[in-house]
Amino acid sequence: MAERPGLLTRWNQARRADGLALRRALPDRLLPLLVAAMAVLAALALAGATGAQILSTRWSNGAASMLTIQVPDPETPTTTAGTTTHLTRSDAVLAALADSPGASRVHRLDKAELGALLAPWLGQDHDFALTLPAIIELHMAAGTQTDATALARRLAAIAPGTLVERNAEWGERLGRLADSLHSCALLAVAIVAGIAVVLIAATTRAGLAARRLPIELIHAMGATDGYIAGRFARRTALLAFIGGLAGSVLALPILVLLSRVAAPFAAAAPAPAPAADWTMPAHMLLATLPTPLAATLLALAPAAALIGWLTTQATVRAWLRNLP
Amino acid sequence: MIRLRDVGFRYDAAGTSAPVALRQISFEVPQGGFRWLLGPSGAGKSSLLRLLALTARPTSGTLEILGSSVAQARRAALARLRRRIGVVHQDFRLLPDLPVFDNIALPLRLQHRPEDDVRDEVHSILDWVGLGSRATARPPQLSGGEQQRVAIARAVIHRPALLLADEPTNALDEYQANRLMDLFRDLSGLGTTILVATHNDALIRRYPAHELELAQGRLLRDG
Ligand SMILES: Nc1ncnc2c1ncn2[C@@H]1O[C@H](COP(=O)(O)OP(=O)(O)OP(=O)(O)O)[C@@H](O)[C@H]1O
Ligand SMILES: [Mg+2]
Repeated sequence: MAERPGLLTRWNQARRADGLALRRALPDRLLPLLVAAMAVLAALALAGATGAQILSTRWSNGAASMLTIQVPDPETPTTTAGTTTHLTRSDAVLAALADSPGASRVHRLDKAELGALLAPWLGQDHDFALTLPAIIELHMAAGTQTDATALARRLAAIAPGTLVERNAEWGERLGRLADSLHSCALLAVAIVAGIAVVLIAATTRAGLAARRLPIELIHAMGATDGYIAGRFARRTALLAFIGGLAGSVLALPILVLLSRVAAPFAAAAPAPAPAADWTMPAHMLLATLPTPLAATLLALAPAAALIGWLTTQATVRAWLRNLP
Repeated sequence: MIRLRDVGFRYDAAGTSAPVALRQISFEVPQGGFRWLLGPSGAGKSSLLRLLALTARPTSGTLEILGSSVAQARRAALARLRRRIGVVHQDFRLLPDLPVFDNIALPLRLQHRPEDDVRDEVHSILDWVGLGSRATARPPQLSGGEQQRVAIARAVIHRPALLLADEPTNALDEYQANRLMDLFRDLSGLGTTILVATHNDALIRRYPAHELELAQGRLLRDG
C-alpha cells in the first residue's frame, strides 16, 4: 500500500500542477516591493489624517461656548474714581462676570492648569519667572449669544487692559484647517489606493500574457473563470499582503516619532505619553501610537491584500471574456 | 448526442478577408456513435472539431452538444460541458513545463478528484499507453509518438462523454494505431460519442465506420 500524502501536500500538489505556474507568471519581487512603498505612503497620509482629526477634536472641543478672559496684573488692587479699593483686579472681574447674563460657569485657572496650558510652549516646569495674567474661562449656557466686544468694554472699565477672546473663533479656524488637512490626507490615501489598483491590474495582465497557452488549455478543459481568476487573485493577494506588511513595519518607527512630536498638542492634558524606546519589539511600539492610528496601520496589509484580490479577480475575468 | 444545423464558421469574424472555414454544416451523431471525419488538408476538419470542443463559437447556425444548446448556455454551463469532452489536438498541446504525469492528470484535477484517485488513474493509463517509466519526464524530452500517446491519455483519462481526436495516429506506428482504435471501439461501446479526423486511409479501411467528408468547408458526405 502506497504511503498516503498529507492533506496539505495533496492540496498543494493539486494547486501546483494545473499548469498555471503562477510563481513565474506573477513573480514575488517587484509587486511586494512597490506595494510596500505605497503602504508607507498610505501610512504617512493616514497618520496625517488621524493627527488632523485628533487636533480638530481637541480644538473645537468645548471651545465653542467659551470665552477666555485675560486679566494682566491680577493681584493689583482696583481703583475706583482715583481711590484704591480692597478688591484685586482679578476678583473684581470675577465678580462682574458672575452676574453677567447667560454665564453658566466662571472658572479662574489655577497655577497647575496654567502650567498645563503653557506646557507645550514652555515645558512642564511650573515655576515661571514672568508674572502671568489671570486666565478666566467663562462658559456660556448653550444657545446664548455673547457680545464679546461689549463684554470687553465693560471689563476694561473695571480692570483696564483686560482682554476677552472668543475661543470659538480660533477653534473654528483651527478646526477648518484640521478638516482640510484631513481631507487632503484622505485624498492622498485614495490616490495611493488608485495607483495600487492600476499597478496590480498591469501586473496581472502581464502574468496572463505570460501564461496564455496554459490558461487557454485549462479553459478548454473546463476550468471555470472563477477557478482561474481565483488562482491569480490568491497569488496577488498574498504578494500584496506581504508588501503591505513590510510597508507597515517600515512606517511604524516614523509614525511613532511623529506621534511623539505631536503628543503635547494632541493630549487633553500633558500626561506623559508612554515612552517609545527604539529597542522595543514592534507590537509594543505599536501600543505607543494613538489607537486609531495603530488600527489603521494594522489594517494596511489586509487592505492591500483585498485590493490585490479584487483587482485581479476583475482583470482576469475581463480577460477571460475574450475566450469563448 | 451532438446535433449541428446550418452551422457556419469563419475565423476572426470582424475581418472581412478571413476565409470562411465552414458553411452550412448539418449532421447528428447519437450517443456512443463513431464518426470518421475526412477531407483534404484545409477542408475544415480541425475547425469543426474546435466548434464541437466549445473552443470556438459558430458564426451562424445552431449547435447542440451533449444535449445542451450552445448559443443559450451560460459560461459556467459551457465550462461544465467542456469537462465532459476529451480532445486530442493535432499539435498535442502538452504543457512543456509540467511532467507527463501532471499533464495527464489535468482533467481529473480540474474536476477536483481526490489525489489518490488521480495517482491510480494516471499510473494505469500511463501503463496502457506504454509510458509507465516516463511519468516524470517533460514533454519536450519525449519522441513525437510518445507525446501523442500522452495527449491521447490526457483526452480519455476522465472518461469523457464526447471524444474528439484530430489526426490521433499520425505519429503512431501501426501497432499503436490499432491499439488506439480498439480503445475507441471499447469507449464507443460504453457510450462515448467519438469523432476522429484523419488522413490515414489504411486505418479507415481496417476500421470501416460512418464517415463525414468535408471539402472546402462544406459537408459532402454523411454516411
Ligand atoms: N487560426 C486560424 N485563423 C484563420 N484561419 C484559419 C485558422 N485555422 C485554420 N484556418 C483556415 O481555415 C480553413 C480550415 O482549416 P482547418 O485547420 O480546419 O483544416 P483541416 O481540415 O483541419 O486541415 P488539415 O488536414 O491540414 O489539418 C483553412 O483555410 C485554414 O487556412
Ligand atoms: Mg487539421
